[in-house]
Amino acid sequence: MAEHTIIGKSVRKVDGIELVTGKAKFTADMKFPGMLYGYELRAGVPAGIIESIDASEALKEPGVHMVLTAKDLLGPNLIGVLPPFDQPVLPDREIRYAGESIALVVADTREGAKRACRNIKAVITPIEPILTMEQALAEDARKIHPQGNVTFSRTLTKGNVEQGFAEADVVIEGSYTTTFQDHCYIEPEIACAVPSGDNRITLYVSCQSPFHIRGHVAANLNVPASKVKVVQAYTGGSFGGKDDAAVEIGILAGTAALKLGRPVTIAHEREESIAGTNVRHAAEIAYKTGARKDGTITARQVKVLLDGGAYASESPFVTMKAMIHASGPYAIDHIEVESTSVYTNKTYAGAFRGFGVPQVTFASESEIDELAKHLGIDPLELRRKNGLKAGDKTATSQVYDQSVGYLQTLDAVEPSLRETGTKENDGRYLYGTGIASVIQGISNGAEGVDVVGASVQMSQDASVLVGCGLAEMGQGSRTVFSQIAAEVLGIPVDWVTVRQVDTDAVHDSGPTVASRSTTVGGMAVKQAAETVRQSLVKMASLMFKTDESMIVLKEGFAVLTVDDTARIPLRDVATAAYWTGFPLMHLAFSQAEPADFDHDTHQGRVYIAYNFGTHLMHVKVDRYTGEVEVLKHVASHDVGKVVNPMAASGQVEGASLIGFALGHMEKVEYKDGIIQNPTFADYAFPSIRDRIPTETIFVEDPTPHGPYGAKGIGEPPVAAAAAAFANAVSQAVGHRFTHIPITREDIAAVLQEEV
Amino acid sequence: MVIHFTCNGKPVTVDVDGDMRVLDVLRDVLDLTGTKEGCGEGECGACTIILNGKTVNSCLLYAGKLQGAVVETIEGLSGDSAGLHPIQESFLEEGAVQCGFCTPGMVLSTKALLDRHPDPSIKEIETALSGNFCRCTGYGKIMKAVVSSAEKLRDSREDGHQSGTGLGVKRG
Amino acid sequence: MEYVQPDTLEAAVSRLGRGGCTILSGGTDLAVVNRASGLKPECFVDICRISQFSGMELGEEGLHIGPCTTIAELAASAEIPHCLSQGASAIGSPQIRNAATVGGNICNASPCGDTLSPMVALSASFVLVSPRGSRAVDAETFFLGPKKTVLADDELLTDIIIGREFLKGTSAFKMLGKRKGQVISQVNAAVWLLLEDGVVAKVQAAFGSVAPVPLRARQTEAFLTGKELDAGTIHESLAYVKQDIRPISDIRASEAYRYRLAESIFHDVLKQAAGLACC
Ligand SMILES: Cc1cc2nc3c(=O)[nH]c(=O)nc-3n(C[C@H](O)[C@H](O)[C@H](O)COP(=O)(O)OP(=O)(O)OC[C@H]3O[C@@H](n4cnc5c(N)ncnc54)[C@H](O)[C@@H]3O)c2cc1C
Ligand code: FES
Ligand code: FES
Repeated sequence: MAEHTIIGKSVRKVDGIELVTGKAKFTADMKFPGMLYGYELRAGVPAGIIESIDASEALKEPGVHMVLTAKDLLGPNLIGVLPPFDQPVLPDREIRYAGESIALVVADTREGAKRACRNIKAVITPIEPILTMEQALAEDARKIHPQGNVTFSRTLTKGNVEQGFAEADVVIEGSYTTTFQDHCYIEPEIACAVPSGDNRITLYVSCQSPFHIRGHVAANLNVPASKVKVVQAYTGGSFGGKDDAAVEIGILAGTAALKLGRPVTIAHEREESIAGTNVRHAAEIAYKTGARKDGTITARQVKVLLDGGAYASESPFVTMKAMIHASGPYAIDHIEVESTSVYTNKTYAGAFRGFGVPQVTFASESEIDELAKHLGIDPLELRRKNGLKAGDKTATSQVYDQSVGYLQTLDAVEPSLRETGTKENDGRYLYGTGIASVIQGISNGAEGVDVVGASVQMSQDASVLVGCGLAEMGQGSRTVFSQIAAEVLGIPVDWVTVRQVDTDAVHDSGPTVASRSTTVGGMAVKQAAETVRQSLVKMASLMFKTDESMIVLKEGFAVLTVDDTARIPLRDVATAAYWTGFPLMHLAFSQAEPADFDHDTHQGRVYIAYNFGTHLMHVKVDRYTGEVEVLKHVASHDVGKVVNPMAASGQVEGASLIGFALGHMEKVEYKDGIIQNPTFADYAFPSIRDRIPTETIFVEDPTPHGPYGAKGIGEPPVAAAAAAFANAVSQAVGHRFTHIPITREDIAAVLQEEV
Repeated sequence: MVIHFTCNGKPVTVDVDGDMRVLDVLRDVLDLTGTKEGCGEGECGACTIILNGKTVNSCLLYAGKLQGAVVETIEGLSGDSAGLHPIQESFLEEGAVQCGFCTPGMVLSTKALLDRHPDPSIKEIETALSGNFCRCTGYGKIMKAVVSSAEKLRDSREDGHQSGTGLGVKRG
Repeated sequence: MEYVQPDTLEAAVSRLGRGGCTILSGGTDLAVVNRASGLKPECFVDICRISQFSGMELGEEGLHIGPCTTIAELAASAEIPHCLSQGASAIGSPQIRNAATVGGNICNASPCGDTLSPMVALSASFVLVSPRGSRAVDAETFFLGPKKTVLADDELLTDIIIGREFLKGTSAFKMLGKRKGQVISQVNAAVWLLLEDGVVAKVQAAFGSVAPVPLRARQTEAFLTGKELDAGTIHESLAYVKQDIRPISDIRASEAYRYRLAESIFHDVLKQAAGLACC
């Protein structure tokens, strides 16, 4: 393959200057004349019936313009991810979680709206809440939704587990649990709706799936989608969390703005962000694993229960994803995974970086270590023996003949394992090393069609504008798209601008999820740029009076292959192309190969590719206090091709810290259905002093389905880091922890007897 | 109340309630929206400004406290020109910016540190940034950016014939 | 709303005497409380422009610390007992420490306030002034419960005095919380120690976050007094720590973990104060 000039280089973030100077406009930075502010009144009880809401006192307060309740909404008052939608924008009767909004106050200031909320008299008859999955699944349980308390349930069947267990010499079983984690992006959810006078509404919003929002907002404002324009403002992190919440406040702000004819902003406070909007599913997972004495895993049987809280949100897809990934990156003949999400009266769970994979990976990799112990086999060797290779069948019996770099990720961490594995405990401190592997599907896969539209438009001066419906949320997709366009067109990266996502101007590209930006989005940008390139090459060949094959585009010039000094500036080529009538803009669609599988057994083609990874953590544990210091963290991932090493390692480092926090620190704590720690003071968000020393090692086993062979990397480190942490601490303490987070307190409780 | 203070080198007068948050004075009255709000209660550091040479959370600071004070915000760092401050350069070069919402606060905490300690230890950097939360980067590249900012600033000081330790970053 | 910034103690006291006032020092606690309540105070009396309220000075009785001295200044001070500067360093983030004041930390009377256990261990004396006059209160009797003190509504803390006796000897403070940076104490402890030839001549210790108010560890102190301070004694003293504290379970830590932390932290601070190699 030809040498790349821009792909594979640590290009600086293309939209970085506006961010470091504070000039980038986030939604809260946009001001419009006559702007009003909305604040939501929340239920405060986890389950109940709204008898009445009397806003008359609140409306009397100076500066208060409106109070919206369910009856004032303009549309079906229903949102969700998969039909039949189950979530009201504002409930008209039943309250299903304590953080649920039941009214919106609109006032001159946010403080005024917040104060007025206190003067709304909501009469609510509490109902006995259902707070655990066990309660929800009890036979005589009250139904949180008419269809019952099971949100979604599926089973994956490969081979026959009974036969697999019969072939095994040892069978081990374990139960594992995980808790709710909040996204904690530093910018809380915010939306600003501006009526534009031409019967349209423009919504500036911090989000990750602008078209999803447009659809829901239009439906709930009862207007055609074309009447709503969603502009994704600079977005201060999302990680999966700014879909549902953005829809909810987008509709509320839009409704108020339409009714009042004035711009309305709703900005969540931190407490609302934690208690009111979606979180990562808590899980209860049971594993049964059978293996032969030589370490060959013959069967895995898994039961996954996911606590999805009050509404479905992304639960169905998370349930599927957990199911498909539960058996890990191993070639196992007999697999059965039953995966179920459940309604409870808690804040709803939805998409969060990793999407069901971290929960099952923690459980699966803990169990693999237990199996290794049982068999007396080195944990890395056990993984190597069973690890997926090109040509092997995945859990869905899909076969990839390339881009299965799992074993290389094991090789990558092996030296660190041998080096740290022998550290002796001393007096107060215990040392341990753990590894954990992850497999994570790239693309929407089983979750739906996967099409991205991208446009590339060159001006006469050879500068380029790229448009794509996928959102930049900090993960660097603008930079990757710029690199791809620049590589194809032979121009410097800074000639490329990737425009803001504006639903008026770019094509619906589905949600920005599933680590698909680089892979599927990058492919569309590449195709569009290649078509524009054809016009340039054709024009240059006319100008040089030579064959098209004699021309390369590089460094902003059209250059003759045979004479590097024969150059025409691309701006001249572009200008000539324009006047000749050669098209300089193209809209391309890239479609990931659609999933094709049996809907009973879930056997078949699911994802276009998998990212594979192995992490190693080496920890030091204080046996008095349970404090843990991560002395070494190696993260190895097969990403196909590294498009931008700096950006990619940044993704690994950021995702790893979220995984570490999931494994060690963070939990949303409930008491009687009310979240007790909805602030950063009490929610243990890691500070810079809690960071871990991540070293990233990339393995490059290219996939034909991504640009230049690239696979996404945004999500997989979360799962691997959490699981490696659990294995390392379990090894250090000499006790298998079956619940994450494994807090200092949990560790100290186990060591209680010893000091 | 009428409050006179210096903001980014320029004298400013505002007439606001003494209990208005400085964050709102900056963002809503002076239209300096580079200072961000992430929690409103002193935890995240997105609202960091430099007040009389020291970092503070503008979300916890009452306007009355500005009387006679000298304030620096992110807008004051690079001036009106397009030129970036060396700290901003380093943040971009090292990949320390992802979503960028924490960045103005991080940059200001870095500046306040380096103004006092041109050659900080790793521990001093950690302490200086411990009140600035970032969810995107995992902090590793932010640490690198601070170290490289310090080097850049020391080099430029030496070029200007001012004293710098030139010892490089102390570990510890 | 009214916002006054008196230059003198007299002016402040006279405004307080007229009622309706909220005393404002650094504002880091007040801002959080006011945001949560949504209430607008009638009048802020910002006391930070009263010059004698800032800084530290050695006087006859001991070291005077002005209530508006910032936590950052305390943290950086070499003149005050070590446990107090360590306690100050443990508070929040640099941003918080630059704005927050020691008077605010004391008057806020949070059970987890990180200067509280040092103040109690050092038997600090607080001077309180109101329109009715002035009084001095010992740190240990000042705190009545979470956010409750002996202060009247119109009463100001004007001076903090660390007696001369406690400027001698050595001291140490340690806290632990849920994360490493910027965190609220799950348990904190301060100890002040006077050793003579390796023997404990006098010791005072206090714990925070283990009861509604900071607690003196009297039984532990009694056990240690007169003993040679070696590893064995330190270890034995931990049994008394348990008797001195009465922690509860809450969102930040369980009762059992607090007991364990108290022992571990006390072990560390005692060693540190004694200059013994520690962890
Ligand atoms: C993010 C964050 C982190 C924090 N971390 C910690 C921590 O780790 N440890 C810790 O101990 N604290 C912590 N705090 C709490 C707080 O910062 C400290 O308690 C601080 O010292 C309070 O000082 P202040 O000057 O800001 O008080 P203010 O808010 O000004 O006042 C606090 C209270 O005391 C009263 N008051 C103040 N001064 C006087 C006076 N002289 N006389 C009478 N009454 C007075 C006020 O009326 C008010 O009721 C934290 C706070 C925040 C926001
Ligand atoms: S907004 Fe001020 S610290 Fe978070
Ligand atoms: S870059 Fe997103 S929070 Fe720091």
